[in-house]
Amino acid sequence: MILRRPLLSLLTAIAFVLMLGPVAILIGVAFTAGSTLAFPPEGLSLRWFAAALEYRPFIDAFGTSVLVALVSTALALALGVPATLALQRGRIPGRRVVENLFFTPIIVPELVLGLALFQQVMVGLQITALGTLVIGHTVLLLPYTVRVVGASLALADPRLEEAARGLGAGPVRTFLRVTLPVMAPGIASATILAFITSLNNVPLSLLLTGPGVATLPVEMLNYVQSSFDPVVAAVSVVLLVLSVAVAFATERLAGFTKVFGR
Amino acid sequence: MTRRGPMLALLVPGLAVLVLAFLYPVAATLLAPPDGDPATVARETGALLSDPYLLPVIARTIRVAVLTTAICLLLGFPVAYLISRAPARWAGRLLALAVFPLMLNTVVRTYGWIVVLGGNGLVGQVGAALGLGRVQLLYTETAIVLGLVQLFLPLMILSAYSSLAQQDPRLEEAARGLGASPGRAFRQVVFPLALPGALVGCTLVFAGAVTAFTTPQLLGGSRERLLSTLLYSRVNVSLDWPAASAVALVMTVLVLAVSALSGRLGKIGSTTS
Amino acid sequence: MEPVVRLDRVSHRFGGRDAVAAVSDLDLDVARGRFTTLLGPSGCGKTTTLRMIAGFLRPTSGRILLEGADATSTPPEKRNIGMVFQSYALFPHMTITDNVAFGLRTRRLPGDEVRRRAGEALELVGLSHAAGRKPGELSGGQQQRVALARAVAIRPSVLLLDEPLSNLDARLRVQMRRELLRVQRETGLTAVLVTHDQEEALELSDTMVILNAGRLEQQGDPREVFPRPANRFVAEFLGYDNFPVLPGAGPVTIRPEHVRLLPARAAEGADEAGLDGTVTAVTFQGSHCLVEVDTPAGGDATLRSVHPGDGLRPGDSVRVALPRRHLVALADAAAPAGADR
Repeated sequence: MILRRPLLSLLTAIAFVLMLGPVAILIGVAFTAGSTLAFPPEGLSLRWFAAALEYRPFIDAFGTSVLVALVSTALALALGVPATLALQRGRIPGRRVVENLFFTPIIVPELVLGLALFQQVMVGLQITALGTLVIGHTVLLLPYTVRVVGASLALADPRLEEAARGLGAGPVRTFLRVTLPVMAPGIASATILAFITSLNNVPLSLLLTGPGVATLPVEMLNYVQSSFDPVVAAVSVVLLVLSVAVAFATERLAGFTKVFGR
Repeated sequence: MTRRGPMLALLVPGLAVLVLAFLYPVAATLLAPPDGDPATVARETGALLSDPYLLPVIARTIRVAVLTTAICLLLGFPVAYLISRAPARWAGRLLALAVFPLMLNTVVRTYGWIVVLGGNGLVGQVGAALGLGRVQLLYTETAIVLGLVQLFLPLMILSAYSSLAQQDPRLEEAARGLGASPGRAFRQVVFPLALPGALVGCTLVFAGAVTAFTTPQLLGGSRERLLSTLLYSRVNVSLDWPAASAVALVMTVLVLAVSALSGRLGKIGSTTS
Repeated sequence: MEPVVRLDRVSHRFGGRDAVAAVSDLDLDVARGRFTTLLGPSGCGKTTTLRMIAGFLRPTSGRILLEGADATSTPPEKRNIGMVFQSYALFPHMTITDNVAFGLRTRRLPGDEVRRRAGEALELVGLSHAAGRKPGELSGGQQQRVALARAVAIRPSVLLLDEPLSNLDARLRVQMRRELLRVQRETGLTAVLVTHDQEEALELSDTMVILNAGRLEQQGDPREVFPRPANRFVAEFLGYDNFPVLPGAGPVTIRPEHVRLLPARAAEGADEAGLDGTVTAVTFQGSHCLVEVDTPAGGDATLRSVHPGDGLRPGDSVRVALPRRHLVALADAAAPAGADR
């Protein structure tokens, strides 16, 4: 393949270096013994990992991020799964319009949504930064849950449910024994995808900060802009390792590229 | 068979959240922010579109987004093609490797560029070694484009791949069998048929590049402002809400216009083929 | 006369070092102007062989000669082959004319010649009226005819047909067979067809090549191959399903329509072998019945006989008569290909 398509292989190599090179370099930087962002690293040490673990704002921000991701994923599923069910199985008038409405949060710039929630909800309604973060992330994740669960439901034959009803199962039993199991893989994929999307978000969370409240990526961004030591590189490596673990777990559960390749 | 009433009831909570926590706040902020009314926003938007200091920001945003999209297409489409024609085992691995960066936040992904592009970074060292003097790419448009290409290549690869993977590989073989060189078969058969996927990829990348914040903030700084970083500084530094709304409005309209345009193009493409 | 295609000890292995060979040590000559079919069950290597002739796959070892010249590593676009795929593989974004003209344009022929030859090819398959339409607007049978026209238009040195009729429904398939044969005869092209359908192979072939597990089992004129299968694999594949064990004879086979059933204790003719048996099943087939008989003396084999069926019931004792002139001797039973893995 490589020998037969030299140009194609070259472009592919460039693309992968561009996508992964900067991340790989960060790994080197994180283990430096020096105190600047230098590559190649000046000696090896774990001091920046120790520094990262001692830096209180990162620990707090990690807690905030996980909390926001958990709650907003749960809320987005609670709102999105019933809506998907209605869109796919109920004969909803103007279905396309309603469906597109559920997808609009993807099209509107997140920074604009963040600004809107900051103005109208956090300042306007005096809701805490944490509360506003949860609201914002729920809105952000809703399209993902509707789309991913919808895709799994759209693939399933609606006659499965008719068959269950024909075999004497009532609507509740049909839902629990047929519809829900059919949706389960979609819900699992949506959960992982939504959780990671929330955890990584920057533009929406940027303005939704309060005293002691900020998500980890935003805290990292702020740190990078004010100091030039490699602490954030160390944090990045920790996140990288966690991501690899999640990727492998996802691969076993539902297929990594199936979940994240949408 | 399915009754409509209960099904509609399932939609209500989601719709309510969409309206109350999304549509209303966004509309209010874009059109009538706390310190202003539609007229003020309109005036500010007019100012933005005529201000000789701000117009270049819009132009730069579009330029950066167009460049990013073009480079992503140029690199991402061939990669997607290679993956779609590779043996299954390799295809799976390459695709996973291309998708993996999507799991990392943008700070993690962009931060490395500071090391590469900074004055003392890799590019600087190579530049010095070659006797080019001090090469400083950080805080330039080039840096922003590089960072955004890194960020959005996976989206282009995935979009193009989904089109290419559906394509019957026999079509390409048929073209080769009829005497077309690999290049000709790619230009006349493979690429035109994967155009819808490429178009979706271009839209995603363009919209992403227009709205991205972390990358232009870290790699462009205050020297090379884009709409997103301008918006942030108007909210955080100058606290001028109508002015911020004007930027937000321009950004939103730009993204919506491009999505609508690509939607139209996609439709035209599908009716002629 | 020099063969159009010659395979010289060609092998192909998929995947790694210890992969199973899809084709091993195949020697094959395709005669000019003749219709050759590669016949075998799925996985026998027939499609792999065709794709190697086309140049889409490289043999792992051996040589491929086209028109006498070594073409083993020639890319497909330089082989002058006309390929017709099972999935039609018509370019969906081009009109029918543009599809048919594609191969003529890659050859940089002048515009009026492209138009003329594309028109002729479409006329040959009776689709001149569809010239301006897109493939998606045509039926499956029409699409396959366009694919045929597209392959014929370039006047290939060999026409390669990869199960071209498999996607069509039964009636259309029979009709298209005639069409295929007519086009091949009218153009005088050399054709190689891959199929798993023995009926198709029998009807179309000048030469029938039967493959199994990547090896050649038998080849020849269908009129000679069909009544004289060389071994048990070929016999089974051609629909022989009686393999009686006769005392003092090697492996033999016989078609059900030649097996006679006599009343129990009746004597068979002098030129017949006889076995005692018990009827186990009688299946109505329309014009006749298929009777299955267990023959303990015949190595416990179940024999099938075509019989009017009147009066026979499971459990009845019968005498099975096997006319010697219809018994086909098979190569020794231990040799079925595929056993060498």
